[in-house]
Amino acid sequence: MALLDIKGIDVSYGKSLTVKNCSIALDPAKICSVVGESGSGKTTVIRAVLGLLPGGGSVTAGDIVYENRSLLKLSKGEWRSLRGRDISMIFQDSGAMMNQTRLIGKSFVEYIRTHESISKQDAWKKGAEMLGRMRLPDPDRIMNSYPFQLSGGMRQRVGIAMGMTYQPRLLLADEPTSALDVTTQAQIVRQMMELRDEYGTSIIIVTHDIGVAAYMADHVVVMKDGRIEDQGERGYILNDSTNAYTRKLIKAVPSLGGKRYV
Amino acid sequence: MFDEKDLLLEARHVTRRFSTPSGRELVACNDVNLKLYRGKTLGLVGESGCGKSTFMRFLVWLDRPTEGEILYRGKDITKLKGRQLHDMRQHIQMVFQDPSTSFNPKMKIRDIVCEPLLNYGRIRHSQRDEKARELLEMVELPGDFADRYPHNMSGGQRQRVAIARALALEPEIVVMDEATSALDVSVQETVIELITRLQREKNITIGFICHNLGFIQSFSHQIAVMYLGNIVEVMPGDQLSSLCCHPYSKALLNAVFDTKMDFSRKIEPIKGEPPSPLDVPVGCPFQDRCDQCMPICRERRPVLTEISPGHEVACHRYGEGVSA
Ligand SMILES: Nc1ncnc2c1ncn2[C@@H]1O[C@H](COP(=O)(O)OP(=O)(O)OP(=O)(O)O)[C@@H](O)[C@H]1O
Ligand SMILES: Nc1ncnc2c1ncn2[C@@H]1O[C@H](COP(=O)(O)OP(=O)(O)OP(=O)(O)O)[C@@H](O)[C@H]1O
Ligand SMILES: [Mg+2]
Ligand SMILES: [Mg+2]
Repeated sequence: MALLDIKGIDVSYGKSLTVKNCSIALDPAKICSVVGESGSGKTTVIRAVLGLLPGGGSVTAGDIVYENRSLLKLSKGEWRSLRGRDISMIFQDSGAMMNQTRLIGKSFVEYIRTHESISKQDAWKKGAEMLGRMRLPDPDRIMNSYPFQLSGGMRQRVGIAMGMTYQPRLLLADEPTSALDVTTQAQIVRQMMELRDEYGTSIIIVTHDIGVAAYMADHVVVMKDGRIEDQGERGYILNDSTNAYTRKLIKAVPSLGGKRYV
Repeated sequence: MFDEKDLLLEARHVTRRFSTPSGRELVACNDVNLKLYRGKTLGLVGESGCGKSTFMRFLVWLDRPTEGEILYRGKDITKLKGRQLHDMRQHIQMVFQDPSTSFNPKMKIRDIVCEPLLNYGRIRHSQRDEKARELLEMVELPGDFADRYPHNMSGGQRQRVAIARALALEPEIVVMDEATSALDVSVQETVIELITRLQREKNITIGFICHNLGFIQSFSHQIAVMYLGNIVEVMPGDQLSSLCCHPYSKALLNAVFDTKMDFSRKIEPIKGEPPSPLDVPVGCPFQDRCDQCMPICRERRPVLTEISPGHEVACHRYGEGVSA
């Protein structure tokens, strides 16, 4: 039985219909990669799952079912107990979303203490330990820094650390590694897959890196223009699909020693 | 490799230290020497947090180095002030990774792209419509996008607006800090086609930070690899995979996910602890993670040494460029 079943949802911002008839089913301990056009609605879909659409956005048709209950009808209290522990999210631009005037450590401690009742000192220790696992050197320096004192990729890893603090049953990861160098990216990919292997976490990962998408995925979804344009197993998407957009996307993937423009 | 008469900008012994809450000193850039040539692209790659953005920010006066100089048009631009700085600024422009955070959301696209031109008195208020249309068309966007707001556009379209704005003043140098990382590969391709075409037409010099090695080698004339604040290798862009020899550069190449890779291969992370810029070791910055580390690597810092035309490496295994 699927852990998450997105059933034919439409999502609109105000009057404009942005995502049309999108369906994705995800079993426990499976990884689904979502790739596709910039602006095609990838972020919109996974934010809809977590009930965090920005102002004006709403699901106007279909249903989102998590463990047999509709996520569209949850109360605020029910969301609070689900988010962070059961379902957690790594945001596309964690860096820009952080409160720029607060120490990283303060934000992290607050995040932890909304999800479990532990002392500030223990929460601080737990946060620092998570940062270390994201291969951030000197976790204590990071905890004592403001966001502007960190590099883009370091801020992104703080967001990843938060999303992975509790071994969630469902992890929604929006472009988690696009701000990271390839060796750090490899490490984070490995840790997401260990989360799946050890705790049975199901993952939806949105990424523009087709190599990462293919490496991680049991199932790949290709989006274009608010719709699911194509989907299937890795081998099908990479080699066999005859969908024109999928082919165009695969062909545009840059490779070492490949095409040159200068 | 490059003609020295085309040398446009040169960073000499540039170092940036930050102080940290614990009172220890953080070295973000350590004795960086780099050259940008007219009409050419320098690609800069390296580990997250190694100092790439810190370096590029000097070129657009968002920060100043603690030591060293950056020569451009015969002047050390890190020392400029007032009128001179204002005049020089128009020649060097920057595009950031996420343009939505650098645009004022309440401004229409017309005003966003024309703002620098108005600031420098290059156009009159009444010419905005015409100029905005021209700039948008240059980046292959419909001219009537001028009436939109940034949030009504997709990420790819916003990024093109950011490029149009950066090019409005016809700068000599454009710095792009992960300016294409948020775009899908197909849009990335059109953006880079556009940038390389404009580079040829206007002879623009580009400094480009990017984590995607396949992508950056497709348009860079030279590629510099940075590690823990140090430039460890510089090589011609078209020969990245064949020439690269610094153990860190090789580790980077090995970590690339490719659509043709063996998907059953387990990911082997680079060994050892990630390095701390608070605690840069004596000797080679990569020593603790290098599988070819020798005793000398723990004693002396290797300096960049040219081992073939246009190819410099800072490693005791190559050349004999050992500093005191
Ligand atoms: N708050 C909003 N109000 C109105 N329109 C929006 C809003 N957020 C997004 N949109 C629009 O909805 C569409 C889908 O946006 P979304 O962010 O989901 O795309 P995406 O696939 O995640 O793109 P990217 O790859 O660039 O992150 C885009 O056309 C965008 O302009
Ligand atoms: N204003 C600041 N105050 C203190 N430390 C800073 C400041 N700006 C940057 N640093 C530190 O300098 C180092 C280099 O940061 P920089 O942003 O240059 O990295 P980067 O190579 O661009 O990394 P990324 O690929 O993640 O963007 C980091 O350790 C960062 O924490
Ligand atoms: Mg998105
Ligand atoms: Mg950076």
